Amino acid sequence: MSISGLTIIAESINDSVPSTHALFEKNDINGIVELAKFQAERGATYIDVNVGMRSPGFMADVVKKIQKVVTLPLSIDTPDPEIAAAGLEAYDAERAGNKKPILNSISEARLEMFDNYSHQPFIPILLVTEGKDESGEVKMNKTADKTYATAKKMVNIALERIQNVSNNELILDPGIMPIGSDSEGNFKRLMDSIKLIHDDSDLEAINMSVGLSNFTVMLPPKKADGSPVKGPLESAFLTMAMPLGFNTVIGSVKRKYELLDENHPAMQCLRDVLTMDGFDVIMRVMSYYS
Amino acid sequence: MQEISEKIAMCVERGKISKTSPFPPDMKDQDGADEIAAQALKDGLQPDALLNGCMLGMERIGKKFSENKVFVPELLMAAKAMTAVMNHLKPFLESGAVKQKGKFVIGTVSGDLHDIGKNLVSMTVKGGGYDVIDLGVDVSSQKFLDAVANHPGCFVGLSALLTTTMINMEKSVKAIKEAHPDTRILIGGAPVTQDFCQKVGADYYSPTPQGAVEYLNKCVA
Repeated sequence: MSISGLTIIAESINDSVPSTHALFEKNDINGIVELAKFQAERGATYIDVNVGMRSPGFMADVVKKIQKVVTLPLSIDTPDPEIAAAGLEAYDAERAGNKKPILNSISEARLEMFDNYSHQPFIPILLVTEGKDESGEVKMNKTADKTYATAKKMVNIALERIQNVSNNELILDPGIMPIGSDSEGNFKRLMDSIKLIHDDSDLEAINMSVGLSNFTVMLPPKKADGSPVKGPLESAFLTMAMPLGFNTVIGSVKRKYELLDENHPAMQCLRDVLTMDGFDVIMRVMSYYS
Repeated sequence: MQEISEKIAMCVERGKISKTSPFPPDMKDQDGADEIAAQALKDGLQPDALLNGCMLGMERIGKKFSENKVFVPELLMAAKAMTAVMNHLKPFLESGAVKQKGKFVIGTVSGDLHDIGKNLVSMTVKGGGYDVIDLGVDVSSQKFLDAVANHPGCFVGLSALLTTTMINMEKSVKAIKEAHPDTRILIGGAPVTQDFCQKVGADYYSPTPQGAVEYLNKCVA
């Protein structure tokens, strides 16, 4: 069972997952549909659909075939406006209990994706890890203040572009980076960003999401004693972030997400990381799993 | 001289940066790469011995990484220890007293702001004995072309994390090959495959940082 109040956008139908990539390469759409069914049965709230650089028509075909067997709403996952348009157009809201699909994702660099809303209303994931600077150049937001400023800006743009939508139909993605290489304080930036968003009354009821598997990528699967490394660290993040309004993950239905006690070693690790800088963070993470 | 190389290699492989560094726990309070390198130069040892130690240490950790015996944190600690040695070698590298194997220009392609993979390759290639020119992220084809023009005979490494920026990787490979057909181009990143490498006309695809070093070493042998 997952955590109450946590929305899971199931991540497996993604071209960057090697086994899924192989299914796409073989044009094994039945295999993709089976993957959608499996994730639906294992508790997903949405099924993410990312077909990589394949054609808009391919995205449309995959969406239609998944919806033939799965009644969950989908998350159309692409930064390409044409692929997004095709996926949204193919989406049958009625089949998904009149639920809007998610569009993952819109950033300041691709605002034209909002144009699709009039054809098929969607819940946008607003990517706020990057924003335009004064010169109009897109740059990574390296501080919580910049991430928060982009969040404010993107929410305002969303509310202008898509009428009659309230905060609870928007999702902000403040970005999560691998903790195993976090020598630049990214985890601290993320937690501070979440708090700034949570504390802003204008952003009340807004949803927040990250691609959670990214947090523990590059770490060993197991500790020296054989216990798992990744699940507890991801759960520790959720335990810290959910009280601050964080409520959605793009994640694995195979993972057992749970809220941890404060004295759990994974909680202690992340709490320590928030007080550290530079390579002390790397060393702390290593001491957690060694 | 061999003894110092081995000591440096051990510190790099284990990620022992300096005496005050608490990692790894079993080397606590021992001299690290920083002190050993400083003392060796003070004692008049050839700086080449230090570079050899770095190369050996990075090769060992790079192989373990390729075999999933260690993970990114261990590789980063090794690179940090290597950097401690390289800081001492800087004047010798600049004067030409210590020769590197070649030049390696690297960057994440246009439209892609991710740098972890690029940095891991950059550090490992540096540890492999190459002069690395890191162009950063979101690097345009023109920037790559300028760097190749400024560093004749260099190798070029292109990184991409996003499937959507692979198209820019293709454009950069083609632009470099058109202007500098003899330039060897290596590509890598999560969505990149051997098939893609062949399709775009790059010379080598490496799924691991150490694979890139091994390819470069074959080229300069």
